[in-house]
This record gives sequence, structure tokens and C-alpha cells, in this order.
Amino acid sequence: MDKALDVAPQAPAIRHQFRFEGSGGEYFKIWIVNLALSIVTLGIFSAWAKVRSKRYFYGNTYIGDHAFDYHGSPLRILVGRLIAAGILLLYGLSAAFLKWFVVVIGIALFFATPWLVNASLRFNARNSSYRNIRFNFDGSYAEAFGAYILWPLLAVVTLSTTIPLARRARVQYNINNHSFGGRYFDAQLPGRSMYLIYLGAIGLLAGFAAAMGFLVLIAYLLAVARDASLASVLALLAEQVNHSVLSAIFLVVYVTVFLCMTTFIQAKVLNLALNHTSLSARYKFDATISAAKMIDLVLGNLFLMLVTLGLFYPWARVRTVEYLVENIAVTGGDGIEEFTSDLVSGQGAVGEEVANFFDVDVGL
Amino acid sequence: MPPTIQGRYFFPLSARFVEAAAAVQDGTFKVTDTTGVPLASLPLPSVRVSSRLGAMRRRLEFPDGASFETTDNDAVDSLMRGSGLLHRLEKSWRLALTSILCVGAATALFVLYGIPASAGWLARHTSQSWARYTEDQTLEALDKVALHPSKLTARQQQHYRRVFAGVAAQAPRGVGGYHLLFRNAPAIGPNAFALPDGSVIMTDQILPLIKRDEEIQGVFAHELSHVDRAHGLQRIYQAALVPAAIAFVTGDASQLGHFASILPGILLQSAYSREFEQQADDDAVQTLRRMGKSPAALADLLERMERKVCGPKECGPNWLGSHPATALRAKRLRQF
Repeated sequence: MDKALDVAPQAPAIRHQFRFEGSGGEYFKIWIVNLALSIVTLGIFSAWAKVRSKRYFYGNTYIGDHAFDYHGSPLRILVGRLIAAGILLLYGLSAAFLKWFVVVIGIALFFATPWLVNASLRFNARNSSYRNIRFNFDGSYAEAFGAYILWPLLAVVTLSTTIPLARRARVQYNINNHSFGGRYFDAQLPGRSMYLIYLGAIGLLAGFAAAMGFLVLIAYLLAVARDASLASVLALLAEQVNHSVLSAIFLVVYVTVFLCMTTFIQAKVLNLALNHTSLSARYKFDATISAAKMIDLVLGNLFLMLVTLGLFYPWARVRTVEYLVENIAVTGGDGIEEFTSDLVSGQGAVGEEVANFFDVDVGL
Repeated sequence: MPPTIQGRYFFPLSARFVEAAAAVQDGTFKVTDTTGVPLASLPLPSVRVSSRLGAMRRRLEFPDGASFETTDNDAVDSLMRGSGLLHRLEKSWRLALTSILCVGAATALFVLYGIPASAGWLARHTSQSWARYTEDQTLEALDKVALHPSKLTARQQQHYRRVFAGVAAQAPRGVGGYHLLFRNAPAIGPNAFALPDGSVIMTDQILPLIKRDEEIQGVFAHELSHVDRAHGLQRIYQAALVPAAIAFVTGDASQLGHFASILPGILLQSAYSREFEQQADDDAVQTLRRMGKSPAALADLLERMERKVCGPKECGPNWLGSHPATALRAKRLRQF
């Protein structure tokens, strides 16, 4: 370990708020042109488009006077994508034609998940840098198996009562195996706080249910006030509301409630995790992300994307990232000059792309 | 003095930097600090320049892990003769708007022709043994979940088999190419459906609604069209192609992208399905005509089925439905 950093002089700690300097309009042009090129090239260019997109968001995220950099190689991503698409196609077709092969792929994916998670996190970390220093990730297969397979299985056995602890295992696995310039990030989350977050989410669900019940009750009371019997109210409803409208309402309510719950948990966990994260004991992170504001953003984005046939997507992404980034800060002295990088080699993107295509949840 | 680029020089593999200036001289890339002391000097081709993107600062990376960072994008472009083609494309609002039209047109073409054509091609080139295998598995699954042994008497079954054979004789594969299966399906209600390899399932619940054999002949003709046009297989391929296409276009595995793609996916699938139903109705009309029967009989049965399921009112507009509205179908059938 580097003496200069660990036995730090009493430099005054400065709090640096993260900043985002990208704009929706600028990103829109980049996104749509790259999308058109991806289509024209039958998908080949999509790997380059992905890299440009990531570079845009990294390069516009600042701490102090320096931005992040993304260095991923489009060719590697393309190879990863082709392999992932092949597996996905095989999977989709065998679901129809060869049921037993689905089981084979399922078992293979089950045991490959820890590897996929690690490969994805490693590819991303090694291709990310700040101030000329690369990040790194070096979690082991065994640890990933615990965080991504055993903990979730335990949550099933314990009838979901250990979901908060499983989530904590995943978050801690993610953060604690990341390093910057040879120094590790460290996060230890209190289990009690994790449980409080999930209780809050359940409270939110109960609130939704109560609100729905209340609406039905109001409708019923109104009907009674008009001297109508319950049966006639139901008949009226059945007459007015047909199957399609009912299923549409159900879909909207389901998506809304689901997004509210997951966004609530996501925002709260992110806050908790960052507030307990430090780098090499010198730098402490903190976050002030509001769950209500995030829910507002996510639902608003979804609505605007549907209304604009997807054209709002670049603005949706920019304003979400902007909100998240600008509510994160790091406090520490100026010792960052002493960080040195020990990594120059890259690696393949197969794991990252397969994980992406199969929606393996590698994030916090 | 050659033109210089102002920026920051980061020492090899280090977060430490100094303000510096870079210039190219005789094919050599040289970096000096503000007082003119040389920091780095290397052949131009060994410098890796990140491509220009938005208003972002550029990073020029050296093989030893050092790098030079600058906001002077124009100077980098002129010094390194880097192709800023992508950036020029991404800069213009006019090109962005053109791209919207391109993407929109490509999406429309793909949805209208690409997916149906490729699903159709795949279905036509799927071997019969695959279709048989799929059918067996589908039937097995259905028998477990929703279907029960039929309660029809042997005489009733024999009667409908004869009617079915009459219709099958008009279809491309002939009498031996299709089978009629009877199942009791209280959960599904009055219905008939075709499986990929040529089996047609008729639920017991449809029986009380049939007034004349002509009506169920129309239903059989409709289902046989599904078999002959491999609609079942096409749906399987569409189900695999639609999400793949949406994932490709959005290029995004995030939750936002995921949810935004569900509704268009459902709408698209049911739109394809409604088109199949219309095709099958049209084919049924042709078959019934050849047999000298009236397509209006099928319309009568369809309306009775709807009344049974949805009550006295019609089921209503169904933009999510797999079938076109019954009123529309009946009207089309009666027009012939």
C-alpha cells in the first residue's frame, strides 16, 4: 500500500458534487444518427453506437474539473453481441421446438450467471477511467455464486423474508470488488436499514391497494346515494366497461405499481449504498436521491416515450442520469494525484453482451 | 512554430497532470509543459485519439499509459487529420430529422413486410416432423392445464368426424392430412382451434350453439386454413422475432426500455394475429363456396359464440384482441 495515501496529511476534506454536462438535444442527434446507421448496416454498427452512447454519458459526468472516460472496444462488443444474439435465437426457437434443450440452456445459464456477472462488471470497470486511471473489478466465481445464486435461493426458501439481505449481498459484492488505481471501494450496509426500505415498499403497495379500495367505495356510496342497488351498479359497470378497457386499465395499474415499487427500492438502496461507501478510507461518498422524484421521472419518461413513439428516449435518459449524477457527491482531501493505474489490458465483451441480452441484473 | 493544442498532460498510469501544449512536427507528436520543457515525444501513428463526440473533451492516449486531454476539438481534428465524419453527421439537426424519417420508414417496412415475410419463410421451411413435435408438446401442455376428455357420445363424435372429413376433402392435404379432436374445456368456452401439424380441437362447449352442420363446416374450413398457411408456426416465429427486433432497435436492456417495449410488442403480435384470422375467414369463404354452402352460416355461429361469451352486448372494440371484432368478421363473411 502506498504510504503517501494511507497515512494522509491533514488536508482539508472537500465535498465535490458530481456534475452532468450533457444535454437532451445534443444526445438526441447522436442517438438518432447512430440508430439510423445501425439499421442501415443491419445491426453491425450498433456496437459502435453503444460505445458512442456510453462515451457521451461518461464524458459528460464530472467530479470537480475532470470527467470520466469510457474506452470499450466496439469490435469486442460486436463479437459479444453476435454470440449473445445466437444464444437468444437458439433459446427462443427451442422454446417452441425442443423443450428439453430449453432446460439445457437454462441449466447452463444458471451456472454461467456468476461468470456472466463478473465478466460484465469487469469489462465495464476496466473500460472506465477517471483522470487517466482505470477502474477494475475482480470478484471471484465463488463469491458471485453466493451473491447471485445462493442468496436469492435462500430468499425463496425463507419465503421472501430474506430478500433485503440478498439485495445487500449483491450490492456489497458489486461495490467491494471494484477498485480504482489499486485501491478498493468499501461498503458495509446495515441490515436494519435494508429491511426498512423493503417495509417502505410494502407500505407503498398497501397505500395503492387502499386508494383503489377507497375509489371503489366512493363509487359504491355514490350509487347508493342515488338509490341504486349493488346489482344494478355492477350491471351498469359490465355494460360500460368491456374486456379490452378492463385489461388496458389492469395493464396500466400493474405497470405503474410495479415501476413505483422497484424505483422506490432502487433509489433508496442506491442512497443507502453510496452513503456507506468509501474508497481507500480517504474518500467518502454520499447521495441525496429522492425516491419520489425518481418515480416521477420514470413514470413521466415512460409516458412521454409512449406518446412520442420512443423519440423522447434520449431526453428521458439524459434527465434521469442528470438527476442521479447531480445527487451524488464525494468528500475527501486532494490525495487523488497519488493514484496510479496498474492496468492497461482489456478483455472480451462476450459476458457483458450475453448478460445484457438475457437481462441478467448486474447493477446495484 | 507549428500550431499547438493547449491541454493537460497526464503522466504514465497516473492521475497526476500538468498544463501542457502539444504539437506535431515531422510526423512526431510532441508535448511540452508551459515553460517549454519536453514531456513526451513519440511517433504520430502510435497516438490513439478518441473520436470527436458532442462538445466533450478529447483524450489522446500514448502507449506508455500517459495521455493528453484537450477541449480544443478543432485543433485536434486539423492536426491529426482524424475523420470527424460521424461527428459531422451527429451535429446537424437536418440529418437528425432525416434519420427520424429513415428509422420510421425502416421500422414500418420491417413491421409490415419484414417480420411477416421472414416468419412466413421460416414456417414454410420448417420440417413436418418439427411441426408434429411442437403439436404434441402443445397438446400435452393444453391437456394438463385447460382441456379435459370430451363428454360427447360416440355417435356425436362420429357425426362431426364425418362433417370434418367433408371439409378436409376440399383442403390441400385431403382427408388424411387433418385430424379432429374433441375436448371438454369449461375454462375456454365455445371454441375451436388448430395446432401446427393439422389437428383441429373442438370444445364440447361449442356444441349447444350449433344449429346447422353448415355452421360448423365454416369453423372447420377456417381452422384448416390456419393449418395450411402454417399460421401457428408463423406465430411462434413472430413471437421470437418481435422482441429481438425491439431489443435491437432500442439497444437497451434497462427497465425503462423493457417496459416501453411491452405494449408495442403486444399490439404488434395481436395485429398480426388479427390479419391471420381475416385470411382464414377469406379462405373459409372459398371452401364453403366450393362445397355449395353459405358463408353467412359461419357468421351466425360467430355471433352466437360472442353472445355466449360476452352477453347481450357485443364484446366491444378490441385493439388488444387476437381476433377482429365479431361484428366486423360477420359483416365481411356476409358480403360474399
